[in-house]
Amino acid sequence: MSLFFSKLQRVVLVAGVAFPSFALAGAGTPQYPVAALPSSLRENAHAVVRRQDESLAVKSVGRTVETTRRAVTVLDEAGSQWATEVVYYDKLNTITYFRGTVYDEAGRVVRQLRTADIHDISLSDGFSLATDARGRTADLRQPSYPYTVEFEYEVVSDNPLFYSTWRPQPAEQLAVEEATFRVLTPTSLPLRFQERHLPSDGALVRSKQGALDVFQWQVRNLAAIEDEADSPPVSELAPMVLTAPTEFEVEGYHGRLSSWQDLSKWTYDLNAGRDVLPPAIQAQMAALGRGEKDERARIRKVYEYLQANTRYISIQLGIGGWQTFPASSVAANGYGDCKALTNYCKALLQAAGVTSYAALVRAGSTAQDIRTDFPSSQFNHVVLCVPLTSTRPDTVWLECTDQTNPFGYMSSFTGNRHALLLLPQGGRLVATPRYGAAENRRERRADVHFDLQGNATASIRTRHTGLEFDAIAGLTGLAPSEQKKRLGDRLPLPSFTITKFSLTPDESGAVPVLTENLTLAVPALAPPNGKRVFITPNLLCRTSAPRATVGERRTDIWLSHAYTYTDTVRLHIPAGFRPEQLPAPVKLATPFGDYLSQVQVMPDGNILYIRRLLMPNTRFSRTDYPAYLDFRRRVSAADKAQVVLVKTEA
Amino acid sequence: MKVATLWSCALLSGLLLNSTRSIAQDIPIHLGSFSAKELPSAPADTTAPAEVLCDFGQSKIEGGMDGFVVRFDRITRVHILRRTGYEWATVKVPLYHRDGQQEKLQQLKGFTYNLVGGEWKKEPLKTDAVFSRKLTANVDEYAFTLPNVREGSVIEFSYAILSNFVFNLQDWQFQQEIPVRWSEYRTTVPSFFRYKEISRSYLPFAVNETTTPFYRTSYRSKTSDGHGGYSAGASDKVYNISTQAVARRWVLKDAPAFREEPFLTTPRDYLSRVDFELERIQFPDQEPQFVVGTWEQIEKNLLKDEEFGGFLERATPLTSGAAALATLHANDLPARADAVRTLVMQAVGYDGTNTLYAEHSAKKLLELRHGTAGEVNLLLVRTLRDAGLTANPLLLSTRAHGRIQTDLPVVSQFNYVVAHVTLPDGKELLLDATEPLLPFTLLPERCLNNQGRLLSTTGRWVPLTTTQTHLVYTAADFTLDARSTISGTIRQEYAGYAAPSARSTARESEHALRKQWQSTHPDWTVERADVAGTNELGKPLVVTFTTRLAGAEEAVATMYVRPLQHLGPGASPFRHDERLFPVDLPSSRRLEYSVKLHLPTGYSATSLPTSALINLPNDGGRFLYSVSQLSPETLQITARLALNKTQYSPNEYVALRELYARALAKMAEPLVLTKQTK
Repeated sequence: MSLFFSKLQRVVLVAGVAFPSFALAGAGTPQYPVAALPSSLRENAHAVVRRQDESLAVKSVGRTVETTRRAVTVLDEAGSQWATEVVYYDKLNTITYFRGTVYDEAGRVVRQLRTADIHDISLSDGFSLATDARGRTADLRQPSYPYTVEFEYEVVSDNPLFYSTWRPQPAEQLAVEEATFRVLTPTSLPLRFQERHLPSDGALVRSKQGALDVFQWQVRNLAAIEDEADSPPVSELAPMVLTAPTEFEVEGYHGRLSSWQDLSKWTYDLNAGRDVLPPAIQAQMAALGRGEKDERARIRKVYEYLQANTRYISIQLGIGGWQTFPASSVAANGYGDCKALTNYCKALLQAAGVTSYAALVRAGSTAQDIRTDFPSSQFNHVVLCVPLTSTRPDTVWLECTDQTNPFGYMSSFTGNRHALLLLPQGGRLVATPRYGAAENRRERRADVHFDLQGNATASIRTRHTGLEFDAIAGLTGLAPSEQKKRLGDRLPLPSFTITKFSLTPDESGAVPVLTENLTLAVPALAPPNGKRVFITPNLLCRTSAPRATVGERRTDIWLSHAYTYTDTVRLHIPAGFRPEQLPAPVKLATPFGDYLSQVQVMPDGNILYIRRLLMPNTRFSRTDYPAYLDFRRRVSAADKAQVVLVKTEA
Repeated sequence: MKVATLWSCALLSGLLLNSTRSIAQDIPIHLGSFSAKELPSAPADTTAPAEVLCDFGQSKIEGGMDGFVVRFDRITRVHILRRTGYEWATVKVPLYHRDGQQEKLQQLKGFTYNLVGGEWKKEPLKTDAVFSRKLTANVDEYAFTLPNVREGSVIEFSYAILSNFVFNLQDWQFQQEIPVRWSEYRTTVPSFFRYKEISRSYLPFAVNETTTPFYRTSYRSKTSDGHGGYSAGASDKVYNISTQAVARRWVLKDAPAFREEPFLTTPRDYLSRVDFELERIQFPDQEPQFVVGTWEQIEKNLLKDEEFGGFLERATPLTSGAAALATLHANDLPARADAVRTLVMQAVGYDGTNTLYAEHSAKKLLELRHGTAGEVNLLLVRTLRDAGLTANPLLLSTRAHGRIQTDLPVVSQFNYVVAHVTLPDGKELLLDATEPLLPFTLLPERCLNNQGRLLSTTGRWVPLTTTQTHLVYTAADFTLDARSTISGTIRQEYAGYAAPSARSTARESEHALRKQWQSTHPDWTVERADVAGTNELGKPLVVTFTTRLAGAEEAVATMYVRPLQHLGPGASPFRHDERLFPVDLPSSRRLEYSVKLHLPTGYSATSLPTSALINLPNDGGRFLYSVSQLSPETLQITARLALNKTQYSPNEYVALRELYARALAKMAEPLVLTKQTK
């Protein structure tokens, strides 16, 4: 399975899993009886891992064998996903066996998986033109609960660039009774590993077995993790052991891996010499370089050439997952995958007199950053890093797989994280651009005109910048009728009609801007009630507090998205009404965020509402949750505040 | 995919020799011949990512080795207008194979044309950009992509598919997600074969014609040695065949891009397309073989089919259990049917796949303990019969599979089967054993698609419209204090088709329903939530929340209270002002509210919203709202929103949308309460 994808696509990380085979229990010896499960493990759990044994055996510098045996008791329908299994394979990974058994509640064998019941599927990611990724799948779901399934399989890998990552508790609402992880490696091929969130009894036991070093980890009785609002992902809560080789070989390419520098050098060497352009394009770029003195402008022109003349096509076969197609192939076909397009762009820039470096990154808008303190192959994408020399010290980052991506913008796909520069002498980790509350802004100005029946027309202008741009940028490529529908779907109003709209992007700055103009007809937005009219001036940006925790808060608060929202709303009130009651201003300054809302009557009798909410990217202890909830509730209450108008006595 | 039995090779004799060639209509496009004058002066839709200039396909039945083959040719030309249209330059072709027979992709060619310095430069598709992979046991996929595609490129490709599967005449979709200027499909079928065709279109065909040209082909066969076997090295015998053919031709011009709308069954029901099913094979001097003829014929074939009727004929491991249920529920036949359904559901779960057939035997199903809809429900039919009930299979098409056209008897219209039971008093039951959370009286929503075909001694159509509605009833008892804080209980009943999903959430975890309600009603503080009826499938699921909605910080003299706004649906489901296709809902819908509000001491209602009654034409739906003063301290608010029909035409859409808008506005009107000064 190759690990390189385009910006446009979701990222699929596949961990190789592993193995030892156990003889089936003889008839009459119950295995995993459900009655033996402690109630503490059933709490919040849809399924319980009864026993999971994984092993990684390093056979040589070029081969590993991973085995898995996992028995899971499925408690209810929501846990039945654990009764199916997919084992991945491709050109470099071979499945040697795949077995399964079903046990009833009492632990008696009710069914053995037969070869005929295992299906072979192509793991089409839906966007690759070609991929050799395949899987064998088995479905042991039962119609009544509880029951236990056990899967055993072994995968021989000729791709030891990736060692196993042990995640005994990979999901929420899954408890673990017992799990072990064993690594056997020749002393000459020392193991590198990093432990995360291991409980105190999960300590490592090391031993020797002939010429092999043996490492064994174990965890027991892990209660199910429950999903909570604004909480860290399960990978930041559950035990994990990352492992990596010190030395490996893939399809004849040998490498060492003890530092980021090693991995950088190996990847660089694998792709070196593939950046030769056809003479015509070489000359075209050289002329372009000579014609544009400003370095940034020159880079932009090359990037625009790339975007206009290439497109992303994914072809993932064997070592092709890591090695680029040559630049000449992209020049001839006009397409390539992320490696090929980045390599091509690098060659174009070089021809135009600009030096740049490819940089590996773990892409994905919900992906966690790599473990920077554990050098290993944790990446799935590559971008281009262009250091500027002649202007102020700065760097331009280029996403090469997207024909519409704004110049120099990394978006939520690759921004705010670390990337590994690929250099001939071995590179280092660098930070990609940071997009914080100052960059990610949504600024809205609205004018709302009311008639005497309380119907309104509203003209609304919204600027979306930085990561706020990402959510709406996709609309610009759509047909107007589709844009109108999607814009309508985003409006939090009970009923309305969009009478006019436009979307105007501006990609000239450091972060892109999209200006959205809307004109709406909103019937019965504030119908008069007797003498009075009630208007909530916060028309479009009401927030709600996160739901209260049922019971005690268990996890820390992770506010991972930073933003600033400002709203300025002018309420044009019909003649014959005057404000009777205005909400008091609210100003909150907290570590979680800052909030301001105020309403004032303008000299012309209209009403001006101003709201500003700034949320930084922050983390807090779970004990701060009540304070955080209080902040969010105050914001929510202020957002709902109403203006009361009353008929003037005529 | 279930495949009709291949016709056996017939001996051909007495065929007409010689024929005249018919003069074919010129084909609208030739590969490799694109020139600038063929480019329209302006795209049909300047905002489209790409535009199909011409999509031309034809299918012909031709003689082959020991039988006939279907040859499908396609030539397509697309103008790429914007970068978002690049995906149209990648094409995927699925090819079917089974029992050593296969569809073969041939003569794949393609070109990209780019305007370079005023000249259209032409580049060919390279074979190294063609990839194949195994998709399933019976389907391989060929994928290719054209080179150097840019904004403004014109791409074209052509290929042929040769197939032994004469039952599978390629279907054709005229409309795409991008505009199509010209889409044309032709079929030429010799008189020995007859296909039923299903064409549907919301757009008019520019051409829809039938001709009967002369037809000639040659057919090769191994020669027999006269002793029942084939002689080694014998030369092939060639028959020249001439006969008449039926040629069909459809053209759709200037089709706008197809766009999905909410509340549709499946895009297939709305896209312009034509599908085929082999109906009859008849060679000269032979009896016709009816592959498909009438619904009766389909029923007969199905009942003979090993994976359908054959399945129903064999005893199953549940047979004895069914007999026991017959004794247990000797007199109450509906209760017996219910018990049989439970027996089946406990034995075999539904794996999420919809089929008409049972690939596995009942014995194997009970070993696997899960199966397709066809497997689960055919087992249900058989087990109902084993329990002494008059049960028969009822064929249907799920909503996602598209609407049944009753005048076209083709089996591929169906993809699902349920059980039909006739009681001695003439009452009928429809049963499905795929969804344990549904009471036995309800079919899953996916089945509520027009009508189904009953396979009994006399086949007939049975309506699948349901009298059961999707009903959410909310009754609240609120007490208001002087700060306008609302506290009290909210009792929500989910009944009919509203019950299954609520029940499924309730079974997920103890707090799941509470969490779900809180995420859609974040303003309320929920002190406790009690769920009742989780396991009593015949009754509504009832959730009772003890809640509080915070008011002002201190007492207010005049308060404006909107209890229904905080309980209601929030936003209209009919957000878009334009509608091209009918709204299609699985069942009728009702939202009902009944709120009792106890006022704080010393306050009285000074202004109350007026009552309202809004009716849709033809009893299509209604909204009813009223506030009444039960006593000086108590108000009663009632609101009912009902959509009585399951289909609303695009003309009715405006009124439907308006009904929701006015209902929401009414429910948001405040009740004004004022402190009385003594």
